[in-house]
Amino acid sequence: MFIFKNNINLIIVLIFISSCSTLNVTQESVNSENIMTIETSGPKDDYINYDSQAVFANATIYFEFDKSNLTSKSIQTLKSAVNALKENSSIKITLAGHADERGTREYNLALGQRRAEIVSDYLVLNGIQNQRITVKSYGEERPAVIGQDEQSYAKNRRVDIN
Amino acid sequence: MKKIILVFIFSNFLMSELVLEITQGAEDPYRVALIPFNGEKNISETLNDVIKNDLFRSGEFNIYGIDSLLSIPKNEDEIVFNDFKILNIDYLVTGNITNMDQNISAQYEVYDIKKGAKIRSSTVFGIPNKNRQLGHYVSDGIYEEITGIRGIASTKILYVTQNKTFNLVIADADGKNEQMLLKSSEPIISPTWSPDSRKVAYVSFETGMAKVFIQDIASGKREIVIENSSQISSPSWSPDGKFLSLTMYQDGNAEIYILNLKNKNLTRLTNHYAIDTESTWSPRGSKIMFTSGRSGSPQLYELDLRKFNARPKRLTFEGNYNAKGSYLPNNDGIVFVHRAKSNFQIALKYFNENFVRPLTDAQMDESPSISPNGNVIVYSITDQGMGLLSGVTLSGAKFRLPAKYGAVREPSWSGFLR
Repeated sequence: MFIFKNNINLIIVLIFISSCSTLNVTQESVNSENIMTIETSGPKDDYINYDSQAVFANATIYFEFDKSNLTSKSIQTLKSAVNALKENSSIKITLAGHADERGTREYNLALGQRRAEIVSDYLVLNGIQNQRITVKSYGEERPAVIGQDEQSYAKNRRVDIN
Repeated sequence: MKKIILVFIFSNFLMSELVLEITQGAEDPYRVALIPFNGEKNISETLNDVIKNDLFRSGEFNIYGIDSLLSIPKNEDEIVFNDFKILNIDYLVTGNITNMDQNISAQYEVYDIKKGAKIRSSTVFGIPNKNRQLGHYVSDGIYEEITGIRGIASTKILYVTQNKTFNLVIADADGKNEQMLLKSSEPIISPTWSPDSRKVAYVSFETGMAKVFIQDIASGKREIVIENSSQISSPSWSPDGKFLSLTMYQDGNAEIYILNLKNKNLTRLTNHYAIDTESTWSPRGSKIMFTSGRSGSPQLYELDLRKFNARPKRLTFEGNYNAKGSYLPNNDGIVFVHRAKSNFQIALKYFNENFVRPLTDAQMDESPSISPNGNVIVYSITDQGMGLLSGVTLSGAKFRLPAKYGAVREPSWSGFLR
């Protein structure tokens, strides 16, 4: 009971304090904001003229959602790629890994890289020199097909061999 | 439970339509009477629109304009507090605009109706042709006076848009005043502000592979943060601005490193054959949270930087995909992308709770970024295949932001700019 009474006193004091309202006086200036626009573009050699390349090594390997393991069908495709690369020992290839648009962009970038690395590992294990292979990822940034359905997603979870 | 449903569509902006769609605002919003400021009519109208929208968008205010008031005081002497008391109004805002020789300023007062007293008197000096900015500063002053929390109307949002090119864009927190920072033929991802909001870091593919760049906003000066042959991505600034955590693919696998921006020293943080990426710093900079696939699906982990050789601690257990986390500014929880069944949604988990709170319920909500006061989360949504930005307040109000330059994604909220 005593404590209760004390609380009421406290509340009365608080009400008293807050009713003696203080006036908050402020002065400020809007900060200026300068923004410079920059333009940039990709390297010219990023757009390879594939006709001049040995097109027989071109292939696409597909993956399951959030997976990077090779299916038996992928291994069939890779076997022909290995043969083509062995027959044409001068050509170099780029493995570009991709993901579908579901999930976060950075995780998908890492997933695309992982897929490309696994294809690279397979090629190296089967006798293709490391130096002939460039590995990179575009994550979900360069879809092969635009669409929000499983069919489109399946076509976008891939490694392009060029 | 009482549910307030208000749908406001401001159709006067044809290209960039601001849609405020408040489903379930605050339980007991502040009721504020806003009298159009005295002064030049067009400036007064702009300020009135900006202030009304800013306060309303917070989800914590109901704004009463002159049409719903009993008396409209032209000056302090004309205020009849009872006229506002009858309408259950909590606060009254009045103001004056002065515009002399390109020197524009807004002077405003906030009155507490219950106390029958003036509680704030403020002046904001503006910049020519930046009347919306002036309005945002007034909104923040009103918001702070009433809620006791710093306002975010004068902050900015950085995001990526895609039309024919990939663009890095900065806009006001209400989606207006879009300005392009970078225009590129190649993808741009993961934009983020430096703690002082003077610079941005992002990933650009312009060299043919992912690389992290830092760009000074005012001068446009930009640099690649590390010159090597590795793919580099996912930058995040330490709270003191001295370090950048990032993901490097040096051994072919995504691992997290800390880069000292001054001497360019690199410290490796993770070492695991699974994917480790999307690092972010705790508010005081003592911990780093990241996404890792080490359990078999993407989950969030935390590393204590104060402990030598610390093992990452797993933070999320609910759901089969938890990624791109960020800490709340007061460090009492995390916000992240969460997938329980098949939908990706934005979710919140407080450290003192053992369950996940979903904040959104669409199919593909991504890239949450928290306002510097911790009250609002901006994120990207997909609507009919098109990327848009949406916001949700912790009180449950949702809104969409307009954007002019095509598909929009990956919003990042600036720090306080005022």
